[in-house]
Amino acid sequence: MKLGVFMSDYRSGSDVIERLQAEKLGIILVGNGVYHAAAKENGGASSVLSKQATFYVLVEDLESRGFTAANIDSRVKVVNYGDVVDLIFNDYEKIIWI
Amino acid sequence: MAIKKYAFVVKSLPYKIESSRLAMTHAISSQTVEIYLEDGENVEPVICFIGDGVLNCVKGHQAMKHYGVTSLEQHIKNALLLDLKVLICKEDVDKFGLSEASLIMDAEDIGGETKAQVVPYSEIQQALDSADHLLFN
Amino acid sequence: MSKLTIGCFSSLVGSMSLDFAVKLSKAAVEKGHSVDMWVSGNATMLSKKGQRAFKDYSALAKPLEELFATGKFQATACEACAEARGYHKDDTMAGFKRHSMDWYLASCFSADKVLHIGGD
Repeated sequence: MKLGVFMSDYRSGSDVIERLQAEKLGIILVGNGVYHAAAKENGGASSVLSKQATFYVLVEDLESRGFTAANIDSRVKVVNYGDVVDLIFNDYEKIIWI
Repeated sequence: MAIKKYAFVVKSLPYKIESSRLAMTHAISSQTVEIYLEDGENVEPVICFIGDGVLNCVKGHQAMKHYGVTSLEQHIKNALLLDLKVLICKEDVDKFGLSEASLIMDAEDIGGETKAQVVPYSEIQQALDSADHLLFN
Repeated sequence: MSKLTIGCFSSLVGSMSLDFAVKLSKAAVEKGHSVDMWVSGNATMLSKKGQRAFKDYSALAKPLEELFATGKFQATACEACAEARGYHKDDTMAGFKRHSMDWYLASCFSADKVLHIGGD
């Protein structure tokens, strides 16, 4: 399946991500999920970013938390709400929120 | 006949938040969804307990006694009574040191015939693959 | 154009998930799609009329009114969840409907995509 995952938290949900299997996986970081794109805990990037997936981060939630597109992991693409709508309808068959 | 499959995935613990309870009540509401649909259309739910969510399935809930609310055990039994498919992730059951004997596996006491199934995560993944919509809770 | 059904359990105040759901709805409607929103559990707070906007809390009544006015958005609250919280029919915001949970499953049936926001 082509699965789009909204990841809305930083401390929970990684266990779900780890075991999810999809032929195409997109992870859209929203809410506190944006810390996976922006935080460098103990100097390292989030382990979530090591998953075979395409990563996106919602710019509104990123900026609300004091980050900008300039200081996020290079694997993550910045998107806005309009882009998210297109991802939902054009890129993924099923969508989940964790 | 158009049947759409919905996978209700329960990954949260019971009672502190309403999420697992609402997953169960929404899944059970599939029994009356036909009133909104055309002839031949229906919804087929599967309920999957994964991660911490398997702890909802520990038998012996006394929530009515202590909280005055319907227990998650009763909701799981109601789902089984209505022949809904209930899958419990074996790897997570093992992680918590649980056994089938300690889990809500049937609703025989209220006349149910369908049993819950403890299955490897790979079978839950298959249920997710075959579902039309995924509802994580 | 396509239909998106969004279900949400999260509270209007104390969570930003409804804020996300409403903003996503607006973006989808602006692109010509239709949106059904279902709120149950604490999310039924969204259906309460007379919300007063304070800067310390999410205030979504105005964007909801604008969404209803487009004719491409409908929102329905779980009747039992609302009643349990003391939100009665007379307390419901104009445009908001109330039904039992099977309404949501039926909306998902005809939706092209479903985003279910459980938790919180």
